[in-house]
Amino acid sequence: MSYFRITLMRSGIGLPKRTQGVLKALGLRHRMKTVFYPVTPEVAGQIMKVKELISVREVEKPLTKEELREERKPDPGYYIETAMPRRQA
Amino acid sequence: MFSRTIRKSILDTRIPTSALPPPFLLPNRARFFNTTAQHVEPPTDGFKASEVATPKSPAASSRPAATSSIPSPPPPPPTPASFSPSVKEQLPLLAAQPSHYISAHIHGRPYLVTQGDIIRLPFRMPGVVPGDILRLNRASSLGSRDYTLKGAPYLDERIFECRARVMGTEAEPMRIKEKKKQRNRRTKTVRSKHKFTILRISELKVNNLEDIEG
Repeated sequence: MSYFRITLMRSGIGLPKRTQGVLKALGLRHRMKTVFYPVTPEVAGQIMKVKELISVREVEKPLTKEELREERKPDPGYYIETAMPRRQA
Repeated sequence: MFSRTIRKSILDTRIPTSALPPPFLLPNRARFFNTTAQHVEPPTDGFKASEVATPKSPAASSRPAATSSIPSPPPPPPTPASFSPSVKEQLPLLAAQPSHYISAHIHGRPYLVTQGDIIRLPFRMPGVVPGDILRLNRASSLGSRDYTLKGAPYLDERIFECRARVMGTEAEPMRIKEKKKQRNRRTKTVRSKHKFTILRISELKVNNLEDIEG
């Protein structure tokens, strides 16, 4: 089972109500919002209606909200090499 | 008052510095502008030094979730070090020069530092106490007077060793902001006083190619 990973790159402001309705139906309410849908003809048709606004990738598994957040997070860039003794709680 | 009289007496009589009173009587002037006294944090939650000292132990994987904000040592990169010929040729030249700078990234933000520098991070680093030594392992550039090695976007972390010591935390002066709505007499005051972690770059070293590959 594969999934579409759809990200809204450009906003739907100023477009016909029908186009904005497709974005709303896909759950794309803000720019850079990412949603996952299984690969079906229905979703493919919706994607075709708003193909100028989104970027689509096919992935194996949908990511959760937390995983998407982790993906955006930069690397901490440090770790504690030598720790001072801590007070034992 | 006492400090002023001392200073005046120094200016007037031009006594040599050896004739000054002992240091504990001198006014404490060696403090940064705009900062208050250092505030030493009590050590935080159940973070244990033994787990950090032995990252390879199997117990490290079953670490409690409370320490998730503290980055754990990453596993060594599986791929053997393979550098481009120009890097192989010029890295010894870079390492041979006396002093280096590094653009180390902490939480995605670059800090251009050299050995001995003191950084005031724009945030309080969770889970560290004064005296901890941090290993900085993300850098976008490393250079000396004549050479610069740039990463795309980051350098291989085996090329350099950069360590920073946690010096403590610093607090800004209390900020008070008045919030007032129009046509309403009510005034709300918002106080804020943030803490910032101080680091000192204690070591910056460029590794040899033989050590990296061997």
